[in-house]
Amino acid sequence: MSNTLLWYTTRGAGAVSLVLLSAVVVLGILSVLRVQSTSWPRFLTAGLHRNLALMTLVFLALHIITAVVDPFTHLGWLTAVVPFSSYYRTFWLGLGTIAFELLLAIVLTSLVRGFVGQFAWRLVHWLAYASWPIAVVHGAGTGTDAWSAWLFTLQAICVVAVLAAIGYRFIAGNRDPLATARSSFQAAVDRREPK
Amino acid sequence: METNDATQDRVRARDEAMRLLNRLTTGAAVSAVLGVGLFGAVSAYTIPGTKTTSATASASTTSTSSSSTSTSTSSGLQSSTTPVTGSSSSGVAVSGGS
Repeated sequence: MSNTLLWYTTRGAGAVSLVLLSAVVVLGILSVLRVQSTSWPRFLTAGLHRNLALMTLVFLALHIITAVVDPFTHLGWLTAVVPFSSYYRTFWLGLGTIAFELLLAIVLTSLVRGFVGQFAWRLVHWLAYASWPIAVVHGAGTGTDAWSAWLFTLQAICVVAVLAAIGYRFIAGNRDPLATARSSFQAAVDRREPK
Repeated sequence: METNDATQDRVRARDEAMRLLNRLTTGAAVSAVLGVGLFGAVSAYTIPGTKTTSATASASTTSTSSSSTSTSTSSGLQSSTTPVTGSSSSGVAVSGGS
């Protein structure tokens, strides 16, 4: 495989990873909001969210492997696991490493959710809100195509989609249909507590 | 009977949703693979990298003949008739970055 082909693959896989990661974040937010219809049950959102998250890891691996084995930059495998250890664009590549490791932690804890417990899983899962913007900044800072019109447009679409989903979540508030029932039950239990 | 029908409807809806999930996942995977190719091609078109060749090496063929000996070299670098000067430009650069 020629060096040039590796370079192009790195850039293509990076762009696809950003799109997939953005879709995962949006689906995660929609999952929390319990979005559903007759033709779109709620488990479909959660299932697609999980499948795309795993797919994101695959394309991120492609992005990282092709970047590391590209002989032009001599990044080395250490760069892929230790943030800010690269001599080449140290800060921006370090952000990419952090974003990848956060995402890896989220996916791994999701796969062993039964063992780590709901609270720990939820705590780690909140890291998704850190992983995505770090990945966006990594792409904007280090990408060869960062200021190319096509990638700039792609990044803008991803940012708008995620911000819209976050905004919708804040506006919609708590969509738990059992929230009122839970509150009433808790209040009744509190009233019966012995003084 | 009505309860059975309602249950069957729910089972059918669930199966349909599962098939939809599989189709969407497969579609996303195929699109992502095509996306790598498409974005790679677009990135190659917009920023293909630079390819410059500035350093040259001259090879000469020297043939010396005399009545008693004959020496011929047809490969390798020989001393050039023109002086070689230092060059600040690099050879070929076609790749790099992320």
